[in-house]
Amino acid sequence: MKRLTLTLGLLAMLAAASLGLAQKSGGTLIAAWAQDPVSLDPQVTSAYSSFQVLENVLDTLVALDQQDKIVPSLASSWESSADGLTWTFHLRHDVKFSNGRPMTAQDVVYTYDRMLDPKTGSGNAYLLAGVKKVTAPDDYTVQFRLGAPNVALLGHLAVNKSVGIIAKESVENGTIKTQPIGTGPFMISDFEPGQKVVLKKNPYYWKQGLPYLNEVDIQIIKDESVRQTALLSGDIDWAISVPPQSLDQLRNAQGVVVDKTTAGAYWYIGVNLRNQYLKNPKVREAINYAINRKDITTAMTFGTGEPTQDPIPSSSAWAYNYAPYSYDPAKAKQLLAEAGYPDGFRMMIMPTTQYPESVRGAQVIQQELGQVGIKVTIKTLEWAQWLQEEGKGNYDTYVCSWNGLVDPDDYFYAQQKTGEVFNFTGYSNPKVDKLLSEGRRTQGFDQRKAIYQQVNKMVVDDAPYIYLYNPANINAYRSYVKGYAARPDQAVNFSQTWLDK
Amino acid sequence: MSLRYLLQRLGTLLLVLFGVSILTFSIMPLVPGSPARVTLGVQATDASVAALEHQMGLDRPLVTQYWTWVTGIVLHGDFGDSLISGKPITEQVRHRLPATLILAFAALLIGLIIAIPSGIVSALRPGSARDLGVSLMSQIGVSIPDFWLGILLILVFAQYLHWLPSSGYAPISEGLGAYLKHILLPAATAGVISGSIMARFVRSAMMEVLGNDYVRTARAKGLDPRRVIGKHVLRNAAITIVTIVGLQMATLLSSIVVVEIIFAWPGLGSMALNATLQRDYPVLQASVLLFATSFAVINLLTDLSYVLLDPSVEYA
Repeated sequence: MKRLTLTLGLLAMLAAASLGLAQKSGGTLIAAWAQDPVSLDPQVTSAYSSFQVLENVLDTLVALDQQDKIVPSLASSWESSADGLTWTFHLRHDVKFSNGRPMTAQDVVYTYDRMLDPKTGSGNAYLLAGVKKVTAPDDYTVQFRLGAPNVALLGHLAVNKSVGIIAKESVENGTIKTQPIGTGPFMISDFEPGQKVVLKKNPYYWKQGLPYLNEVDIQIIKDESVRQTALLSGDIDWAISVPPQSLDQLRNAQGVVVDKTTAGAYWYIGVNLRNQYLKNPKVREAINYAINRKDITTAMTFGTGEPTQDPIPSSSAWAYNYAPYSYDPAKAKQLLAEAGYPDGFRMMIMPTTQYPESVRGAQVIQQELGQVGIKVTIKTLEWAQWLQEEGKGNYDTYVCSWNGLVDPDDYFYAQQKTGEVFNFTGYSNPKVDKLLSEGRRTQGFDQRKAIYQQVNKMVVDDAPYIYLYNPANINAYRSYVKGYAARPDQAVNFSQTWLDK
Repeated sequence: MSLRYLLQRLGTLLLVLFGVSILTFSIMPLVPGSPARVTLGVQATDASVAALEHQMGLDRPLVTQYWTWVTGIVLHGDFGDSLISGKPITEQVRHRLPATLILAFAALLIGLIIAIPSGIVSALRPGSARDLGVSLMSQIGVSIPDFWLGILLILVFAQYLHWLPSSGYAPISEGLGAYLKHILLPAATAGVISGSIMARFVRSAMMEVLGNDYVRTARAKGLDPRRVIGKHVLRNAAITIVTIVGLQMATLLSSIVVVEIIFAWPGLGSMALNATLQRDYPVLQASVLLFATSFAVINLLTDLSYVLLDPSVEYA
């Protein structure tokens, strides 16, 4: 115990010392992205590569800190009415867009009106579920009126930059897809699709003295080994991801920092409950016993992910760590026999080349299910086609992930509630539906944690999703890059980053 | 060569391009997946897909879409805007076309520097150790996949030796040195492979000419061997070699697509691949059209160069 106290004391001193380092202003950070940002219109895109750019360009009313706690941002305070139907946000008075125009409540109203307008075709409008009207009683006050209480709304207004406040100028002059104007630390000065995004310091940024960097040059380097080489040779300063199989090599390399944190994300097998075999709960239970999550995680992440049976990672305050299954092929066979398929059956699994790990995972799953008699065909599709087949329900099972999740509502509501927007499996459990609505009405951490504990258990037991693992978010950069930390929500924020060289 | 011949060829070129454009336009909607779904990702709902497809103009009849597209190009030289990023395509092409052409030219140059000397050397003494050595090297060159060679060159020259940058592009405004350093590895990747293929054709073309009576006569009368090769053999083998080079350009262009991806080279190839994966129809149509044009122009130039090489050839 004494040793622990001593260690903690030393750590605190170290932390204080590092805080005391004088940050240097100026310079250009050369950062490498793995995927091309798909449109920079925050309300339409759902690509993380786009949000990771926009993280530095837009601000939200409230934000998430490094521990995923909700903190003030453009709104300095907020409250909800007793009935939970009205949320009021009080805005800062000193915020300007990067074109110099002051930001007011009217801009917030414009942003969310556009998002809720069906003509916009926003894929992110579900984040505003329940919001009936957004109004501006005065220049620095915004009110959200809801049809039904939704505690998760606050988290949704922080979850990523799809809910960032935009200036209507960029919509009106047609540059919203390439150069959305926001109030963030940087502004987009150039976007060459498939090639680069250049961010310049926003001279009107409302946080005094920030950002430290003058410029961030984002290069798109798709090949992971080329990205790794570019980092090792110093051609780039920062890489969004590196091949997991070479983590050890990178950790041992001089002058490179590997920054790893568990992400608020999970990989899973999505099961089509309309399939004649898979609609049988015993069959899904059998699959849960037939797969070895440790092997699958090793194959997919080279050991950087945490195998799991429920969605919320153990590092989160909302974690339940519910794990009813074990790797037991004999039991799986017995369950299949009870289900009436002692000789197994045939099914298809659909990974995508967009995420090579899903292809590796599908191969292990194919082999393991084969051992209990389920004959699996792998149908690997490229992204555009995969999206279409998944969206239309043309699959038996698929392998994919959900990312950037914070509140337990994010982990379950849109995916598991009957008829909800991202419920692609056809799952429907009235008890789960009722609890999910209750979770949105209920205030208080403990009360909500108890509600979602039941949801978690039912969804894991019913198994519309067969959860595989929680991935790690791994960024790697040169050691002179300071003031950056990999985050569980996978956001990439350079507002406090500086170069010690 | 008559003007009529030239006009005829240009007319054929236009017809080919028209055919190519019709083909790409009609194949596109048959490919599963849509740019709206790619933009929306896993968060697509039927309503949001429909709203975006309407914004993108994809709910109009195909003929209307084609007409808008063709008139844009013919009347304004405008390829339209990318459906995904909203950027004008013409502006992108203006940057990317030169980058691809220069890369292709540099690769071809490297290829010729490899192919011609090694082809000559092995043709002069068929079956010798040198000939076998060249054959072996060219066999290796032909067999190596371009993506593998590219990564190998990056590992050696960027990661271990730190001589050259690992990827990317430096505009000429950053100085000739930086420009050449960036182009060397990608050009060498494509060049070594096409050089290996061309070396074999140079060898066989040379051997064919070497077997002719007039070569034996030239040698018999005691002409300087270098003059025999330079003046008599190479000149006569040139037509075959030029044909091969012309055909090689097609292979080279497809290899350049891969090379551009590996080296993050901002050319037409990487643009075409991105557009395919994202179902960005107008960008893909523009790239296909430009590649088809380049190939047709190369063919035309190849044919025209016969006249210069062999005065007995004449087009009417």
